[in-house]
Amino acid sequence: MRISFSVVALAGVLFLHAPTVSAQDVNDAQIASIVVTANQVDIDAGKLATSKSTNDDIKAFARLMVTDHTAVNKSATDLASKLKVTPQDNATSQSLKADGEKHITHLKTLKGAAFDKAYIDREVAYHQQVIDALDKTLIPGATNGELKALLLKVRPAFVAHLEHAKRLQASAGERD
Amino acid sequence: MIARLAISAAAIGLFTCTAGFAASDRSEPKTHTVTIEEMRFQPERLTVARGDTIVWVNKDLVPHTATSETGRFDSQTIQTAKSWKFTARTKGEFAYICSFHPTMKAMLNVK
Repeated sequence: MRISFSVVALAGVLFLHAPTVSAQDVNDAQIASIVVTANQVDIDAGKLATSKSTNDDIKAFARLMVTDHTAVNKSATDLASKLKVTPQDNATSQSLKADGEKHITHLKTLKGAAFDKAYIDREVAYHQQVIDALDKTLIPGATNGELKALLLKVRPAFVAHLEHAKRLQASAGERD
Repeated sequence: MIARLAISAAAIGLFTCTAGFAASDRSEPKTHTVTIEEMRFQPERLTVARGDTIVWVNKDLVPHTATSETGRFDSQTIQTAKSWKFTARTKGEFAYICSFHPTMKAMLNVK
């Protein structure tokens, strides 16, 4: 039995504001695009937080996000080119990109503790959403064995980031 | 003459035994491998003898460190597919972490 996943369902996992598109299967090229976009969104937010946050722990976390998600993206793009798969833009990757840009715009209006809180709250939610998407859609949906293996290899890093972000969120709450 | 030979032979035998004992008592230093994979140090607890070498191999997609919490050793950044080695000279229990990822903790016990 082939498991079928719809782009709409996946968009729903990642976003509440997913555009309404006709249901279609998520193929490996679309999964590659979703992975690359999801990483890039977090790299962009991390770069902003690295320069804008005044909290050393938040800045260290933001630098880590830039380093780790850049490394993951390099592995993903290297694999895509090895497999001759061109990442295919889709409703989910477009939503990820648009939502990420909206978040950056919002973060730019904030400073100090308000900035840190907005950044880290979003990091907690984002990593949880990506883990859910990996478990429910991306890993079971990947048909190529190497792509599936890469997603499985990436998952523990997202879990560690989530735990790290939650600790920062809790310590920020204590400071309030 | 016979007595002197016997004493000499006994002395040589004793020396040989002593040398043999010393060699088996002081074993050669070993090399142990800690694999860094799935955001964990594997094994998370490792016991080695003084003089042994530990090699940390990073099989993850992201960079890591092996950093003693007391400052005894610090690999600095170990990039993907790279390794770092450390020879344990001091007895003790050394808790260490990845300085990038605070959820990654492990223990090196040097006997």
